[in-house]
Amino acid sequence: MSNSQRNRDGEFTRRSIVMAGAGAVLWTGLAGRLVQLQLFEGEEYAELATENRIRLDPAPARRGVIYDRFGQRLASNKRNFYVLVVPEETDNLEGTLKNLARYIPISRTKHRRILMQARQQAKFVPIPVADDLSWQDFSRINVHAPEFRGVYAEVGELRSYPMGAAFAHTIGYVARPNREELDNLIAQEIARLQIGPDNIVARRQVQSRMQRIYRHPDMRLGRQGIEQFAEPYLRGQPGFERIAVNASGRIVDRLPSDDVAPKDGGDVVLSFDAEIQKFAIARLGEESGSAVVMDIESGELLTMASTPAFNPNDFVSGISHTKYNDLLNNEKKPLYHKAYDGVYPPGSTFKMLVAAAALEAGVAGPQDRVMCRGKTRFGGRDFHCWKHGGHGVVNMKSAIQKSCDVYFYDIARRVGVQKIADMARKMGLGHVYELGMTGGNKGVVPDPAWKQAVKQEPWFEGETLNYGIGQGYLTTSPLQLAVMTARIAAEKVAPSPKLFIGGAPSPDTGAPEYEPLDPEIAKQLRAGMYAVTSEAGGTAMRAGDVGNGRRLAGKTGTAQVRRITTAERATGVIDNKDLPWRLRDHGLFVSYAPADNPKYVCVVVVDHGGGSSAAYPIARDIMEFTLNRDPASKTTHKVASPMAQDETTRVDSEAI
Amino acid sequence: MRMIAERLTLVDKIRNLHWSLLLTFIAIASFGTVVLVSVTLKDPQMAGIPWQHMSRFIFVLIATIGLAVAPIRIWAMIAYPAYLGALFLLVLVEFMGTMGGGAQRWLDIGPTLIQPSEFMKIAILLALARYYHQASENNRTPNLGNHIIAALIIGVPTMLVLRQPDLGTSLMLAATGGVVIFFAGLPWRVIFAGTLAVVISIWPIYQFGLKDYQKERVYTFLDPSRDPLGAGYQLQQAKIAIGSGGVEGKGFMQGTQSQNNYIPEQHTDFIFTIIAEEFGFMGSMALLTAWAIALIFGLLIANRSTTVFGGLAAAGVVATLAFYVVVNIGMVMGLMPVVGVPLPLISHGGTAMMTVMLGFSILLMVHIHRDQSMVLKGII
Repeated sequence: MSNSQRNRDGEFTRRSIVMAGAGAVLWTGLAGRLVQLQLFEGEEYAELATENRIRLDPAPARRGVIYDRFGQRLASNKRNFYVLVVPEETDNLEGTLKNLARYIPISRTKHRRILMQARQQAKFVPIPVADDLSWQDFSRINVHAPEFRGVYAEVGELRSYPMGAAFAHTIGYVARPNREELDNLIAQEIARLQIGPDNIVARRQVQSRMQRIYRHPDMRLGRQGIEQFAEPYLRGQPGFERIAVNASGRIVDRLPSDDVAPKDGGDVVLSFDAEIQKFAIARLGEESGSAVVMDIESGELLTMASTPAFNPNDFVSGISHTKYNDLLNNEKKPLYHKAYDGVYPPGSTFKMLVAAAALEAGVAGPQDRVMCRGKTRFGGRDFHCWKHGGHGVVNMKSAIQKSCDVYFYDIARRVGVQKIADMARKMGLGHVYELGMTGGNKGVVPDPAWKQAVKQEPWFEGETLNYGIGQGYLTTSPLQLAVMTARIAAEKVAPSPKLFIGGAPSPDTGAPEYEPLDPEIAKQLRAGMYAVTSEAGGTAMRAGDVGNGRRLAGKTGTAQVRRITTAERATGVIDNKDLPWRLRDHGLFVSYAPADNPKYVCVVVVDHGGGSSAAYPIARDIMEFTLNRDPASKTTHKVASPMAQDETTRVDSEAI
Repeated sequence: MRMIAERLTLVDKIRNLHWSLLLTFIAIASFGTVVLVSVTLKDPQMAGIPWQHMSRFIFVLIATIGLAVAPIRIWAMIAYPAYLGALFLLVLVEFMGTMGGGAQRWLDIGPTLIQPSEFMKIAILLALARYYHQASENNRTPNLGNHIIAALIIGVPTMLVLRQPDLGTSLMLAATGGVVIFFAGLPWRVIFAGTLAVVISIWPIYQFGLKDYQKERVYTFLDPSRDPLGAGYQLQQAKIAIGSGGVEGKGFMQGTQSQNNYIPEQHTDFIFTIIAEEFGFMGSMALLTAWAIALIFGLLIANRSTTVFGGLAAAGVVATLAFYVVVNIGMVMGLMPVVGVPLPLISHGGTAMMTVMLGFSILLMVHIHRDQSMVLKGII
């Protein structure tokens, strides 16, 4: 009946069996593969699974701490609260950033930069959104974290400068590595590992590893001062942390990682005394100026202050353009280390060296007299003394005491330019002292050869007269003046300045070998300097008393900023007070104390202070403060130097 | 057109349900739900998936039984319209389909997108079964001409799907259709000749007929380390997951690979990796065995059917299900290139579930009406 029977002659069943057989073969293939993977190779795969979830995360080393001589922290590390975003994990990066901006500040520029970065790199690489957050902002993000997919709030370490602006110029600051710095570091690493140009794979690996390390939110590089100079030493050896992560990189667990851990940066102890530095800054007040205090015997610098300053903490997380432009355009030049980078004509503070040169050359004796009538004529030109009516009869001591210009015109002409220049160099001028920081200005110690080379002109003898009173092409930094003063005050030693006293090895100052001044000559100079502050008629009588019966000896100086014309001289020189600030004379004062047993040198320069009277009261106060701290200042802070012997991390001037 | 056997009441039909097969399916779908819980519990955004999977299965299961009690004649009658309708939609896709992932597969019909190639998987089986049913009437044996027409029934939609391009689905249509032709009695000599021809033509097809991404899949399959962060990475991670499961597995929700999201698409195409990692060799073999049982039941149903239509439709469904299972698991274990084929009843996803359950209702329907015969005339 049925017209469409299925199983005609059992053919359908036969074919079913064939298909079932084929199915059985396939099934056995699958089962066999399971046996292979799970039973035979199971252990290997189990190992791979373990390796899989372990990731090496870059971990910057703790940056070395910078201490003063008593262990006060000048540069240390604080907790850094930061927020990262992983573009891949967000539903919509732009929306996430907008929402985040309700809790933490994200500027429009920052917003744009993050979006750009997200386009340029792999989507799973975290991008720092904000760091150096306050605890309030950080906890707000943490509370709202579940609302934000792909946003992570983490804690790290960041550079901080507890003393704010006080040491900004010497210590410098750190900032996020820029592209150029990163490229340099990558090039250095590739060179260090001796990877050839053809080994593209290895180059890429180094590149990506370095990028991961140096893009870390905690990573900063020194940009100035000690931070930049001693960068490799302070930075230490960045390492890794071994963490268990899921495929999207979320941290599931932290695992032991001692073998790949970062090696902390080395600490540095400076010879500075933070209290003196702070006092000096306070005492300079609103002035634009600098102060240097140096230990005569050891050359250790107790203070190297420059005002006004900037707050290095502002740079750590990126300074705003307005703030930076304010610093840049400030006429008092807060970004400038006036004590180390600034050079001034030394003015009358140079007179001791002219006297020393004359004594050494034997062209003038201590008792030789010169008559000062207020001016002297040479080469058809009048050379004026600062004192209109003249000083009358002066000898070397009273000429230093009263800062008589006519006396020094006379002996300068007698001794000649070359001997003055030689003496200036011998006493520490015209040289950059390598202290372990960036910058430094060697100034100019002119002589005929210098003039021929630089100005393509012969030396005119009239210029020698100006040389005698520290004017003309001659320029010196306050640090050089401190060295000069220390070499006058020192008995039998020739001090050179020194800043690093622990931790990092002190860099070679590069100071040339120098024979101490003949003690007899030094005595004559000191007698003059003593008279300046302590004998009737001295130019800085009020600076002599530094308490407890101790006396300060010193020398005033005024560096002319503008030329005084003959016409002006005829009508009467305009008083500095009546000039605009930037045209007023610089006031200088070099000093040492105690006068009978010199221990410290103090140099103060007040830019456009109108004259030395702006400088010497400040120097006196700083010296008194320094002397009062004296008994304590002999014990110094000691730190372990973890890397001092380590070849690769030694402070290395190449690394600047 | 006459009905030979007695009419079946609804109660008879319910009593005639293949309960063992039904239970096997329910067991596999429940296991799938458990696995989906493991995959999705950690992610609040996916928390609804297991519940959705189970509720969808229950809903579709009821609909499936509803369809299975429909008279076999109705199934036979809608075979051609369904096939022609699906073919029409495929042509429509060709002209106005929506692009997705580089292929034109979806048709936008206002409220939703539909994928005509999925419907075609079942429609093609019904159409072939019906064609052979009529070709076999009056004790005729289908001749070579009939087989050629059957091949055209398969070939037209296969080519359309290949043009989308969707290699996986077109291979599936060709393979399952081929199985139906085989069951319909394609002479053995033709089979051998055809096999030879296929083997010879593989190289030119590979060289000129495949898109770059399809070739890339084959390359990656042959050498996974070639592309460590693309598809090869996915495959490598899948193998690590499966292998590290070992004999007993790492336990429910304990898979380090799956819980840490190393495997993409782990709630859809790569879900077998979770089973293998968390339930080990035992769990994986249990699933393979359950599927083997379900497919053997399916083959028995096909053999037990009185009608050619029922027998061939059931055999086609078995081939379809087997294709899904073998290709999916084979792909995940690195035995086959990566093609987007889900693991039926386990993978999350609506369209594949529809197709599978429609096939399942055919199996149940054929079993219910195993003793009935029918005579069909015309094309309706």
